[in-house]
Amino acid sequence: MNCSCGVGKRIKDFVKSALFLDFIKGMHVTLGYLFSKSITIRYPDEEKWIPYQRFRGRHTLNMTSEGKELCVACELCSKACPTDCITVIPMEDDTGIGITDRVAKVWKVDLVRCLFCGYCEDACPTRAVRLSREYELSTTDISRTKFEKRELLLPESVPEQVHGGGIAKAKFVRSKDGIKIVANLGKMKKMRW
Amino acid sequence: MEQIFFYIFAVIAVVAAVSVVVSRNPVHSALFLIVCLLQVAAIFVLLRAPFLAATQVFVYVGAVMVLFLFTVLVLDIGRETVVEYMHSHAFAAVGAVVALFVVLAYIASRGTITVPQGGFSEEVLAKNVEVVGRALFTKYIFPFEVVSFLLLIALVGAIVLVMNEKGSKS
Amino acid sequence: MIDLALIITIIIMVVKVGLLTMILFSLPMPLTWIERKVAGHIHARLGPFRVGPHGIMQPMADTVKLLFKEDIVPEKADKLIFKLAPLIAMIPAFAVFVAIPVGGTWTVPFIDQEMNLYVTDMNVGLLYILAMGGLGIYGIIFGGWASNSKYALLGGMRSAAQMISYEVALSFAAVGVVMMSNSLSLVDIVNTQGGGFWNWNFFYLPVGPVWFFIFIIAGSAEINRIPFDLAEDEGTLAAGFHTEYSGMKFSFFMLAEYIALVTVSVLAVVLFFGGWNPPIDYTIPFVPIAFIWLFWFVIKVSVFIYMFMWVRFTLPRYRYDQLMNIGWKILIPISLVNILITGFMRI
Ligand code: SF4
Ligand code: SF4
Repeated sequence: MNCSCGVGKRIKDFVKSALFLDFIKGMHVTLGYLFSKSITIRYPDEEKWIPYQRFRGRHTLNMTSEGKELCVACELCSKACPTDCITVIPMEDDTGIGITDRVAKVWKVDLVRCLFCGYCEDACPTRAVRLSREYELSTTDISRTKFEKRELLLPESVPEQVHGGGIAKAKFVRSKDGIKIVANLGKMKKMRW
Repeated sequence: MEQIFFYIFAVIAVVAAVSVVVSRNPVHSALFLIVCLLQVAAIFVLLRAPFLAATQVFVYVGAVMVLFLFTVLVLDIGRETVVEYMHSHAFAAVGAVVALFVVLAYIASRGTITVPQGGFSEEVLAKNVEVVGRALFTKYIFPFEVVSFLLLIALVGAIVLVMNEKGSKS
Repeated sequence: MIDLALIITIIIMVVKVGLLTMILFSLPMPLTWIERKVAGHIHARLGPFRVGPHGIMQPMADTVKLLFKEDIVPEKADKLIFKLAPLIAMIPAFAVFVAIPVGGTWTVPFIDQEMNLYVTDMNVGLLYILAMGGLGIYGIIFGGWASNSKYALLGGMRSAAQMISYEVALSFAAVGVVMMSNSLSLVDIVNTQGGGFWNWNFFYLPVGPVWFFIFIIAGSAEINRIPFDLAEDEGTLAAGFHTEYSGMKFSFFMLAEYIALVTVSVLAVVLFFGGWNPPIDYTIPFVPIAFIWLFWFVIKVSVFIYMFMWVRFTLPRYRYDQLMNIGWKILIPISLVNILITGFMRI
């Protein structure tokens, strides 16, 4: 800092602070935000977030288009899993529910231990196990944290065919186990994250 | 009517004033002091001196605040040390208090509780601030200036004391 | 025997005070909602949205929550003062409003009776307000001390030191107004500003705006608003003086705080922006003048309340030494110079 410009700078600073210039600048910024659009997603009862496809949520087991299980019970996913949370017990089967005669008798994942790393889907030779876009996993019932093959084979709530993420309007669905709020995929606003 | 109010305020003021001395916790004393001062302010209102009342509250609010700060920051609230320290002064203090009461009793016995209106009519007194201000800046200008000068000296003295301390340290 | 006029005066007085108290008690509810909405939108959020349309019932929900919350008194606290402190904070906040005029004297149509739109016209109104406003700080200090917690104590101490420093500047600003308006009575102060906005004290150039800024800065320091809310500095003191309070006692502190916010806004309007006077005098046929007064009064006060909220969510908090510097080294010298200039202008 040299002296000659010091005086000029000090005068400038003085005028600036006497006229509250910085203050006005700050107020202007916040005023701009006040009238800007809110970025809140009114989850869950009005809007719901649809994650992008690379999202890693709860596992699903996929089937072929003819409805045969893709899983061949090779246990590679279970071996690859760093937290050892997948249990696979294979069995012989010739009724043709799988693509081969070897299917999983038990295919169980313990989501409390899972860290959603996605190693299982990388290890799978048949692309049977995928991490889906299901993210509403919180529960008050500890037994709901373990998912069996039966549930994992059910179709995803957000099918694979929906590309990209976004915000969808929420829809109330009444069924015999109570009211559920699901995303109305027809009214979805695509977002780019 | 006014008499009743006066007695209410006066009794509370005296009780509070006694509590200031009696209560063991200095912070309680500060609280009672505020109560006492507020009652005195109320009595000023009864005496048709709202300006004095407001000033009383206004000035002593700050004053008691400072007192409170000192109580918390400086005083170590250990009762024993206070008692020990006070011991040698006890007789002198009691003597001073007794003397003060004698003087007060003498003055009180000669006066009356109601106030004379003085040279002012009701209408003039309604403009209380003007009356006080005019008196202060004309008739009593010399004492007023002397008092402000004394306060200034006290202020400067306090600053000088602090500055000396700092200088010797560094 | 019975003096009818006196009884009517007393009844009117009681009704006015009752009305005022009711308004003041219910005012913090919409204010909390507005404050949270403003906070939300400035942060590009929505603010409360779930209780009622646009979250309008949120304050009710909060009140119910506070009513049913356990009222904890810390074991090592000074119980009496701890319980008294919220009241000490709240009562002066209400008492201040006795002296505040929301309108002038109005002749009620049909019954041809004069009515004052204020409780009393005190001869020393401004002094009374400053004195009462100062008393409110004791609630904070005693509450902080009585909690027997270091955060609360530090909050209380900061508040005391801050109040001592800024009371001076605030009083100087009041002195400036008194010099410009030639009266301590708030009704007179407003009346001298009537006629049009060029008569407002704010436009008493060149000193008016300076007094206004001194007043608003010192005022926001007095009521512990950001950027001067060191008494409840969340970053360093948990919640400051009310760390240990919960339930209704806590809500009393909140009440006092919001009423103080209203007080400073009202004072800013009364002292600098012509009180109830409209910017340009006008009358609308068949509309009583009192409505016009009330309309402008409420509008102006709302603008100031909004300003305070806006500032709150814009500025960061000052550091303690900066706070003291602003108080003693900037505001007070400027006030002294300004008093001199104002004095010369009034000769
Ligand atoms: S995501 Fe990772 S932790 Fe979870 S089951 Fe698959 S491999 Fe194991
Ligand atoms: S999910 Fe894939 S990796 Fe796991 S057992 Fe089945 S086929 Fe093998």
